[in-house]
Parts: sequence; structure tokens; C-alpha cells
Amino acid sequence: MKDLIKLSMVAVITLFAASGVAQEAYTPARTEHGTPDLSGIWQSFTTANWNILSHPVQPGPFAEQLGAWGAGRAGFGIVEGNELPYQEWAVAEQQRNYENRAVVNVTNDPSRFDTGDPEIQCFRAGVPRANYMPYPFQIFQTPEQIIIVYEYKGAYRTIYMDEDRPALDASWMGTSNGHWEGNTLVVDVQGFNEHLWLDREGNFTSDALHVVERWTPVSPYHMRYEATIEDPNVFTRPWNMSFMLYRHVEENAELKEFNCVPIVEPMMYRPLGFYEEEVPLDE
Amino acid sequence: MVNKLLGQAWAASGSAISSIAIAVLVVASAAGQSPPPSALVNRGAEDTVEAARAASPHTSESTYAYFKDEAEAFMADATQRMWDPTEPRQASPRTPWGDPDLAGYWLNVAYVPLERPAEIAGKALYSREEAVTAFVQWATRDASVDPATVHYDWTEFGMDNWQSPIRPNRRTSLIVDPPSGRIPPLTPEGQARRQQQARGHTLESRGLYERCIQGNQGPPRVPFLQNTGESQLIQTPDYIVLITQANSDVRIFHLDGSAHAPAAVRSYLGDSRAHWEDDTLVVETTNFHEGRKWNGSVGGLQLVERFTRVAADTLLYEATMTDPTTWEAPWSVEVPWPMMDPPGLFEFACHEQNYGIINVVRGARARAAEFQAAQQAEQR
Repeated sequence: MKDLIKLSMVAVITLFAASGVAQEAYTPARTEHGTPDLSGIWQSFTTANWNILSHPVQPGPFAEQLGAWGAGRAGFGIVEGNELPYQEWAVAEQQRNYENRAVVNVTNDPSRFDTGDPEIQCFRAGVPRANYMPYPFQIFQTPEQIIIVYEYKGAYRTIYMDEDRPALDASWMGTSNGHWEGNTLVVDVQGFNEHLWLDREGNFTSDALHVVERWTPVSPYHMRYEATIEDPNVFTRPWNMSFMLYRHVEENAELKEFNCVPIVEPMMYRPLGFYEEEVPLDE
Repeated sequence: MVNKLLGQAWAASGSAISSIAIAVLVVASAAGQSPPPSALVNRGAEDTVEAARAASPHTSESTYAYFKDEAEAFMADATQRMWDPTEPRQASPRTPWGDPDLAGYWLNVAYVPLERPAEIAGKALYSREEAVTAFVQWATRDASVDPATVHYDWTEFGMDNWQSPIRPNRRTSLIVDPPSGRIPPLTPEGQARRQQQARGHTLESRGLYERCIQGNQGPPRVPFLQNTGESQLIQTPDYIVLITQANSDVRIFHLDGSAHAPAAVRSYLGDSRAHWEDDTLVVETTNFHEGRKWNGSVGGLQLVERFTRVAADTLLYEATMTDPTTWEAPWSVEVPWPMMDPPGLFEFACHEQNYGIINVVRGARARAAEFQAAQQAEQR
């Protein structure tokens, strides 16, 4: 009998873990103003920032200097079907991005965006990438707005909950409008620029990117993130991604400042001679 | 009254107006120090400016004439809404959970200079009439564009201060303590650091805002001349988040009574812990990064900021800066922040598109090379 109880408990737990439906029956705590409370510090623990598709271990760029520090773990992808429906030209573009992912060429014109992962240069990550970078982010909720502050670069997004705002201009983090569907926060994001990458592999999107995100708490400590990615300039059809977010529960959990500008300055500006005290007279 | 003042505004050579520059670059305001290399080599700048003026079909007066009706309507309206620190304050509205309600979009903006001009030493407050006169002079100057010095025509894009909810202020300086309205003297250590912080021709010598490390040189919020002081306060029972338009900087104020982060954890925006004192949010910020240069201070700056909703459309911002290694005494500023109209912030991806720093450093290097060449010619 004891064994039977044990067995049935294992079965229930297995079912719970395996079945999204069972988890989504979870009723999250409510905010002061009565909506599901998503506030807190969250982080994904995927390896998708290296590659949103399934990938092996990799040494990473500059392996001769960085050794295991700069290496990427193997990981399962976060893309449904593990396939990106690129248009033909975009396949070659992704390959070109990959080959030039650590090539930083700083100019005072838009050609600076031709090579190099935006992340290596401390540029904003965009959506959805900011959500699966290896950095925490914090959600703040008010009735009118939900603010997400990402530790990476201290970038933030405002999700308008009161009325839909059009994207007035292209931006890195896009323009976000949200609403609730049951316990799920659904966010429509558009108004992106044409410089965004999805990962260090050089997967990319264009300024026609349209993301619909679904944020669903499945326990006090877990939230499922799902997104539909639509970009008629780059892909032949919309595609989906999903992964789990984990709440930071340490008593002293706080977002830290990750101001990477001073970190990347020498990489970006030393080749231009901007660190030299001596000024050659013929300059 | 406003129209009469407008007539006088052009005639008034603005000793007070010229001191607006102090608010633009606080770093330039310390007396008795050698100018940075880029200024040293700026020989012939007057000739250049005069040549640019001569070459332009426009003048400051003609650019003002273009916006005259709009500017006059603005000034007439603004003078109805003066900041008078002697008037009693209204009780703050409250959030549903009972805290003072600070949430919204606020503008950190001032025509009043940071430091009191020498000409009005000893005078802490303008009369209401004087405040209007000074305001009209500033706004008139602001609404005109000198074709020789125009970089962006802010007015054209509706981004001048006179196109914002800026208002007359009875204060003659933003500094309210010490009573002189001036930054206290620098300590010898502070003077030495201040000289080290002078802008030169290397990247590292340039300002933190030029390098997109922090907007408007970071906290405290001392207004710049140009209207880039848009801010948002987001409020929950546990946090206040201050987002500033410049550089899209985000500061998180913890309201949970927690202690400051360990001293080893230092940052450009500092570590902020907040509590309520009646209607006022008091924010104490420490742990500044040692690379955070500000007016001669570095990591040791202790900052206390106070945010109070003194009227439905006004937030009073007060800040006290303490660093005994930099200044001989603490000093405090008071800046009324009008509510923004219309509200809203945009993404300010400064570093991503910082074409400017490349041009700035190259320009400074070209000037430094000219200077060296001139020195060598003099020696021969």
C-alpha cells in the first residue's frame, strides 16, 4: 500500500511537471489593483542566448585568450520544431552574421551595425532576446503600466495596459501594449529597428518584426514565456518560442547595475587611437 | 506686463542670462583653474563665430521673430504659474495604499542658474515682479537661435525649455544651501581631482554623458540648459523607480527598509534606499563607482534626495551633496519639477548610436595638435 501511494505520488508529480494544462490551473497572487501579480525578479536559465536552436558545446570566440570562460554550454533550443523558417537570402545573412559576430568596427555612421553581435558592443538586446539573456530582470506593475527593467544594460520596456499606443518611431526595445487573458499577460510588441539579433549565432530580425508575448505564471516561482515571432522581411511564416522563467527567491535578491558601456569602450575606441595621450602633429 | 518686459528683454544684457551656462556644464564653473586643453587651443574661436554669423542669412532676432507669437503666449501663461517657495504647500495626494502619490511624468528643468550670480550676491529671492522679468529675459533668449552656435535647432523640434512647462521661480539660484547660493570651496583634494576631470583629447577624459555612461552626468538631477530633463516616477508599495529620458537611465529606490549594498558593490547610478518622512520621499544614495566623476567628486559622494508633491502639477526635488574629501561643506539644491504635458518618454539609445563621441574626440585631438604646433612655433 505504501509503495502504491508513493507510486501514485510520483505519477501525480510527473503529470504535474509534464502537463502545461495542469500547471496553468495555478491561480497567481493578485496585485493591489486586482490583476495577476507578476512583479519580482525573474531569469531564464536556457542557453538560448548562444543559439535559440539546439546546439552543442562551443569554445566561443577568443577561445585562445578566454579558454573555458568564454565557452558556451550545449543546450536544447527554445524554438518550436527547432527550425527557423528563413527566406533564402536570410540564410546567407545569418551565416555572414555568425562569421562576423565578434568583428567590431566602430564608425560614426550606420555602417557600425553591419558586423558584430549587438550584445558584444553593449547595445540593447531587443525583444524577445532580452528575456532569455543570462541576466535577471525585474517586473514592476501599476494599473496603467507594467515596467520591465533588464539588468543587462539597465534597459527597460514600458508595457502600456491602459490604452494601446502606436509605435511612434523605431527603437531597440520596441513599443509594447498589453492586456490580460485570464492569468496570462499578453503583450504585442512592434516598432523595432533593423539591428536586432536573436542570439550570438547571428539569427536576426528586421524592422518589420512583430512579437506577441504570453507571460503565464505557473507556480509562485515559475512563469512560462511564449512568443510568436512574425517578420515578413526575414521569415516565410510566423514561428513560436517558449521557455521557463524562474523567480529569484534569495532574501537579498536585487537587480544590480550592469552598465557595460565602460566595459566595451576600450574594445570599441582603442582602435581609433582615442586612448593615446600623445597627439601626432599631422593628425 | 509681459509685452513690456519683452521689449526690455533684448536691451537687457543678461548677467543673469549668461550665468545659465553654469547650469549647462557645472564642470565649467569652478574658478581659478586652468581651462582644459581643448579650450586652451580654441584660439580664433571669436573669429569663427563672427564669420559664421556673417555668413548666415539669419540672426538671433530673426529666429526669435519666427517664434514670437508662440513664445509670447507661452510666457504670458507661464507667468501665471510661479514657483514661490514662501507659499504654503498643499498636502500630497495619496496612493490607494496610503503613501504620498509621486507617480507620473515630471520635468527637471530650470532657467534659474545653479549658482547665484555675483551681481545679486546676498539676494536669495526675487520679488514676484523680478522673477517674471528674469524669466521673460531667459525665455526670450532661449526662443532665439544664434546661427553661429546652433548645433541642433531645438526650437524647431519643440524641445526648447520655453516650449516646456518651465515656470518663473522666485529663487535666484538652484543652490539653497549654503546661503551664498554658491558651491562651497573645493578641498585641495577636490581641486586636484577637478583638474584631472577636465575634458581633454582622450576618450577617458570626456564627460560621462558624452560617453553615454549616464544621462546628464547622472544623479543628482541638476537641470541642463536644454530640455532633456524628462523623468518618470513609477510607484508601487515596495519601490519607486525613477527613469530619466537622458540615456534612459533607470534608478530603483528600495522602500523595504533594507540596508545599502555592501561597499564593494559600486555603480554609476549608486545604491539607493528610500523611506517616507510625512509627504516626502527621502532617498539616500551611496556606493558610487570610483569612475563616477562629478564636479570634483568621485565614488565618495553621499547623496540625499527628497521628492515632495507640493501641488497637483508640481514635484519639488531637493538634493544634498556631501563629500568632505571634495567640498568644505555639504550643499543643497531645490528644483521644482512641473508635470510634463504631454506625458511620455522615448527610448534614448545613446551608446548604440554615439556617433558624436567619435567626432568630439577627433575634434579635441585636432585642437590639441594645433596647440602643440603653435607652441612649437613660438619656441622657435
